[in-house]
Amino acid sequence: MTWKFPGLSRRSFLAASAGGAAAAATGATVPLALGTGRASDDTDDEARISYTICNFCSSLCNVRVTTRVRNGAAWIVKLDGNPHSTLNRGKICARGQAGLRQTYDSDRIKTPLIRVEGSKRGEYAFRSATWEEAWTYIGERLKQEKIQPWEWTMVGGWTSCVFYMNWAVPFALANQIPNIIASPMQHCVTTGHLGTDAVTGNFNVHDEILPDYDHARYILLIGNNASIGAVSTSRMVRMAAARKQGARLVVLDPRRSETAAKADEWIAIRPGTDLDFCLAMLHVMLEDGLYDEQFLQRHSNMPFLLHRDDAGEWALALDPEGRPQVIAEGDSEPRALPAFGNDNRVDVNGNHAYPRLAVPENSTAQGRPVVTVFQAQRRELDGYSVYWAERSTGVPAETIRRIAHEFGRNRPAIIDPGWHGARYGNVMMLRRVQAMIQGLIGGIDQRGGWVMSGEYHHKAHAMLEAMQHGDPGGPPLATLAGLPFAKMVIDAVSNPEHFEHGKPGFAWAFSQQERAAGRDWVMLPAMADCGLKESVTGRLTYEGEPYRTRALLINAANPVRHYYPDTYWKDILTHDDMALVVVVDVLPSDTTPYADVILPNSTYLERDEPTVYGNGVNQDLALTTRYAAIEPLYDTEESPDILYHLTEIISGNTKGFVDAVEQLTGLPARPVREAFARTRAERARGAFSAACREVAFVEAAKRVRVTPEELDHALRSRGVYHEEDWETLLETTAMPRVMPMPTGSGRLEFFSTLFADLREKGGEGPHFSPLATHIPAACRDGTRPEAPLDDDEFFFTYGKTPTVSYGSTNSNNPVLAAINRFKRDIYAGVWMHPDRAARLGIATGDPILLTNVRSGQRADGVAYVTRLVHRDTLFLHSSFGVENPALTRSAGIGTATNKLIPYEVEPVVAGFRSQEFTIRVARVGKGAVT
Amino acid sequence: MTRYVMVIDLNTCVGCNACMAACAIENQTPVWKSVWRTYVHDTEIGTGEDVHRRFFPSLCNHCANPPCMTVCPTGATYQREDGIVMVDDALCMGCQACALACPYRARYSATYEDIEIGRRFYGALMRDRPSVDKCNFCAHRVDAGQEPACVETCVGSARMFGDLDDPNDRISQLVKSGIARPLLPHLGTRPHVYYIDDLKRS
Amino acid sequence: MDATITYETQQIWTSWFAVYLYLGGLGAATLTVTFLTDMYLRPYKELVLWGAFSGIVMLGAGSGLLFLHLLDHMAAIHVMNPLVLFEKPDAWIAWGTQFISWMMIWGFIYAFPYMVESDFLRGLPILGWVLGRPWVMFLAAHAGNHFRRTIGWLATINGIGVAVYTGLVLQSFPAVTLWHNPGVPLLFTASAFSTALAYLLLVLHLVMNREEDHPIRVIYERIDLILISTELVILFSFFTYLQSGSESGYRSAELLWGDLGWLIGFIGFGLLVPFFLQLKGVIWRWPSRYPIVASAVLVLCGGYLLRHYFMGAAVFAYPG
Repeated sequence: MTWKFPGLSRRSFLAASAGGAAAAATGATVPLALGTGRASDDTDDEARISYTICNFCSSLCNVRVTTRVRNGAAWIVKLDGNPHSTLNRGKICARGQAGLRQTYDSDRIKTPLIRVEGSKRGEYAFRSATWEEAWTYIGERLKQEKIQPWEWTMVGGWTSCVFYMNWAVPFALANQIPNIIASPMQHCVTTGHLGTDAVTGNFNVHDEILPDYDHARYILLIGNNASIGAVSTSRMVRMAAARKQGARLVVLDPRRSETAAKADEWIAIRPGTDLDFCLAMLHVMLEDGLYDEQFLQRHSNMPFLLHRDDAGEWALALDPEGRPQVIAEGDSEPRALPAFGNDNRVDVNGNHAYPRLAVPENSTAQGRPVVTVFQAQRRELDGYSVYWAERSTGVPAETIRRIAHEFGRNRPAIIDPGWHGARYGNVMMLRRVQAMIQGLIGGIDQRGGWVMSGEYHHKAHAMLEAMQHGDPGGPPLATLAGLPFAKMVIDAVSNPEHFEHGKPGFAWAFSQQERAAGRDWVMLPAMADCGLKESVTGRLTYEGEPYRTRALLINAANPVRHYYPDTYWKDILTHDDMALVVVVDVLPSDTTPYADVILPNSTYLERDEPTVYGNGVNQDLALTTRYAAIEPLYDTEESPDILYHLTEIISGNTKGFVDAVEQLTGLPARPVREAFARTRAERARGAFSAACREVAFVEAAKRVRVTPEELDHALRSRGVYHEEDWETLLETTAMPRVMPMPTGSGRLEFFSTLFADLREKGGEGPHFSPLATHIPAACRDGTRPEAPLDDDEFFFTYGKTPTVSYGSTNSNNPVLAAINRFKRDIYAGVWMHPDRAARLGIATGDPILLTNVRSGQRADGVAYVTRLVHRDTLFLHSSFGVENPALTRSAGIGTATNKLIPYEVEPVVAGFRSQEFTIRVARVGKGAVT
Repeated sequence: MTRYVMVIDLNTCVGCNACMAACAIENQTPVWKSVWRTYVHDTEIGTGEDVHRRFFPSLCNHCANPPCMTVCPTGATYQREDGIVMVDDALCMGCQACALACPYRARYSATYEDIEIGRRFYGALMRDRPSVDKCNFCAHRVDAGQEPACVETCVGSARMFGDLDDPNDRISQLVKSGIARPLLPHLGTRPHVYYIDDLKRS
Repeated sequence: MDATITYETQQIWTSWFAVYLYLGGLGAATLTVTFLTDMYLRPYKELVLWGAFSGIVMLGAGSGLLFLHLLDHMAAIHVMNPLVLFEKPDAWIAWGTQFISWMMIWGFIYAFPYMVESDFLRGLPILGWVLGRPWVMFLAAHAGNHFRRTIGWLATINGIGVAVYTGLVLQSFPAVTLWHNPGVPLLFTASAFSTALAYLLLVLHLVMNREEDHPIRVIYERIDLILISTELVILFSFFTYLQSGSESGYRSAELLWGDLGWLIGFIGFGLLVPFFLQLKGVIWRWPSRYPIVASAVLVLCGGYLLRHYFMGAAVFAYPG
């Protein structure tokens, strides 16, 4: 089946905008008396309650804000979990609790800042400026340097992606900018997640799947700490319920993480060998019949017939009309099934039959010998026994077998994908195999298993219905779910036809260039940084012309700290040909010293969001948004407004911008313009955001069939607008039992059509295998994982503290910094096992030097000697290593992971191989190698 | 009658430190020095391969026989009828005998300087005299029908708050079942914070 | 609940408090001993003035030290009101504050008539003038004649109270085995009086070197000898007591008996050497006063070391 994504050329924007305008004409253009919801309206001493969404991880917990008047000013005094939220059930973590101290952080950026004349990027030397000065500065620099649209690259952090994608993508298109680097991609969303996506058709797993721990009996977590214990509140409240009800928790992790500390069984697996374990587990489950046969027969592509194609690779044995085939029970002839659907029991002729998981030996289709996906996968797993896995993982074979049996027999069971991808080139395959394991027991979208979010169900359902009726489909950013969404976004920036200048994103040009030159190249560098350095330094050409990158807009992202290595971005930002760097942030991150202009954003507590959102990963369907608890403390601006102003400067195409917002998200342009004309006269800042918000409320209210006032009232008083319970939703939208999944075939895919496609496009090697296969982690050249390490050599692992997400300026939050001080040894130290430390004469508190054996990169650290970590590996928390002294409470603490990690990527999405090397350790001051 | 008690289930405390943050902000504790009303200790237990990691929240135990109250010379430390041990910061002169008497390290000092810093940091401070300070089960919240801040936010629902005098209270039943046990019972302090052990055979 | 335990010494009451406890015991016992001497051995104006003056100054200094370490100085008023004893009769610091206050007040009143009679004091600039006022002399005569013994006893009882209280206050902290036992008040009381006697021996030998004081000095030496022996017995009891029964106690024992300052400084030079010096003095007499003077100096140093180590070797066993 081929899913047609809507075209995104400028022509199609204009064409559709006529329809959009018509739709808007019927909608309300009445200005909404929403009220400002600001504490400054209060004159009494009582506590005021408002609701918002937390900003510090992708749990997106609903938050209740308490504000009081103190000394005549409104102060946010407390944040709590919203008790009305079924997402986080009234709980929030330390980051959530401490969030108000970000708003009140004395180190905040309070005005626009322009670089002091004569200083260089890298020096934090700025002067306060007005917004007018900042816009003028940017405009002049653009004119002076004659920056072309494709020479811009936007770098978006996680916050700006989750909340402002609806403006960022239209901005890119309206200004003809084909380059977006989105920071979660190469770290998690396109690396690990894409592996899961290949099986289930999701796109952004950690925003789309919330496993139902509440009802699970057996939970297996592999490479998974951040999403549970360190800490994702929406998941942890459910995991806690599971623990209290006696569910068994088994955790594989090279160290006793927060999550592993709660396990009934902790298995200290050797780093990089998770895939080996999972392949062996998959092998056992397939061999020993530990799967839900009916589920696989009905709703997966396990029964589909495969043959060897001309290149000797497995391929779907399609009928002459391109439809998949199966051999039914009691039959020997293949029959065709609908190309896209969720139930294999009805063939293309309407006949019912149960497709076999295994077909007889001499079966053929169209004259070629065929086997089923099930059979082919078993063959692929032939060598990957528990004995094979024991060698590399260090986990006894019988333990692996036992766990496979426990998982297969204790239903409902959950193997959870986890968040962070990256780490090794094989993580994508690891997450794929985990999804397969979950699929084998039928634990997809059902009680006690993985459950898709309410929002995801809602969108997928609407999308698939539109597909089935042959509708053209609605605004893609608002209506596409799962892989189709991913494909749309990829197409948006990789297809040169979408841009008048005919250039795709530099990353795509780079892939093309490298491939043509016979060098390593990345198949899907979606929102990735590959080729950025080449583009900046003049080593990238497209169609014979140089493709330069000379201007950067970095919004709520900190690439100097969380991309690899730190020198990559420092070099790019200080390059002579980099003409303009604009950074939008709330605090002076390690990236801000490299800006020319810093534009201050308001913090989430000071903001009415520009739209109404779904309730994140909540299994229930609900709406939510943010209400500002206080007026912005400083002269700060909102992201959509910043993008609007930049559009004025870059291309002048503000009409196209607002139209593109409508095209892509459905927010009607005319009412937005009318509201904007009014709000910009009423307020200096956030006028465009306010206009979008008004109209978004109207649209959302329409969808749930209430008035905007009713919706506003509900959201003000409860913070969430509950639409539907997940159990009810599952009855009509469970995927794949009730509804197809957004995979290529609509079924749960054990043979991945996504990867089969990519392989056809030229992807070579095991990373592109459509079936599960082994990809070894290559931490040492030509050496097996279990081969002994030198006395001073270690594997390298990193992870998250519960207080500070990766490279986040939250490390500067005074309450979080105080907690980190209390736990300084544990959080900021480099973990090492005492048996190894003893041989090196290292004790807790000793200064040590870490050296990457492959790249020679070095970093300082302080040792923390503990039994809680595998002998073979170091561990450090990714929260620290801040260099900018303007972050007064966290500068100089801990070790920056990206000082040790080189630029190494895997070939599918340029996922970072951020642990795929070894480290040498030496005590400083005693036999240190200099 | 009411007799408040807290039960902490070590099986679901995941060391997220939410309670430390919530308590500090709710009660305006001096986060600029390293003292807290509650701590989540991160401990390593065992010497073998299967070494255990336990997160251990500690706080004032609101003892029925509180040594801190005995030694307090001004009567600043007193106990309410519902069992909450309080410090009246107007009466407390800060001799710190209570801090020495407490076997649970529950107490810390709040100085003149902390008041100055606190006023700037928190905007307005509930405290206006220096004194020794400690957890008071968020008495101001409890009196308003809410739970202590740490309990309310506990992501793992490890902290639970109840009334021992209410036979229908689930928390009270946990205590009475014996599965939740207090710390250092042999000291005779008769604490009212109980713990459910996580180190069982599995 | 079987929690992991962290063993720690404390940083709340440190050396300054050891000084305070030392001065408290020493000053109060000094005043007490001089008053009792004056009431039952022979009237001795200079000795009483020394005792009252030393006692008041030492308690004043010690209390001043304590006062400075308070968090909220103004609130100290709440413990100075005697009615606090009805509110908090279980709080030893409340008792201690009252003992100290009343010892100083009654002690001053008891010494007051002697002040008026003292030529030395009458010769001082401002104080001398005040002491010469007729109404002052009238008051002194009253205090000197009526209720003299009562006043003396009031001062004495409060003084003994102060000395005992310094031990009782440590006993009231249950978390530290080294402190939480009846041996501490006995030890501190014995030490207080032993150091007081040593101090007075120094005064009697070096400052007021009078032949007619010989009987007093002999009595002081003998009582001091008994007190030092008592201390040694109590400490031996501590030694065995701490060996088992509690990890806190065992660790305190390790800290103490592994420290040369305690063993040689306190036990050796602070107790054993003075014991033998005084034993010889009591049984065989010393030809000169210097061995006793040396012994007294050692006892005084030892008295501080005792409290210094008691504060520093306290081990808390905190869960978590």
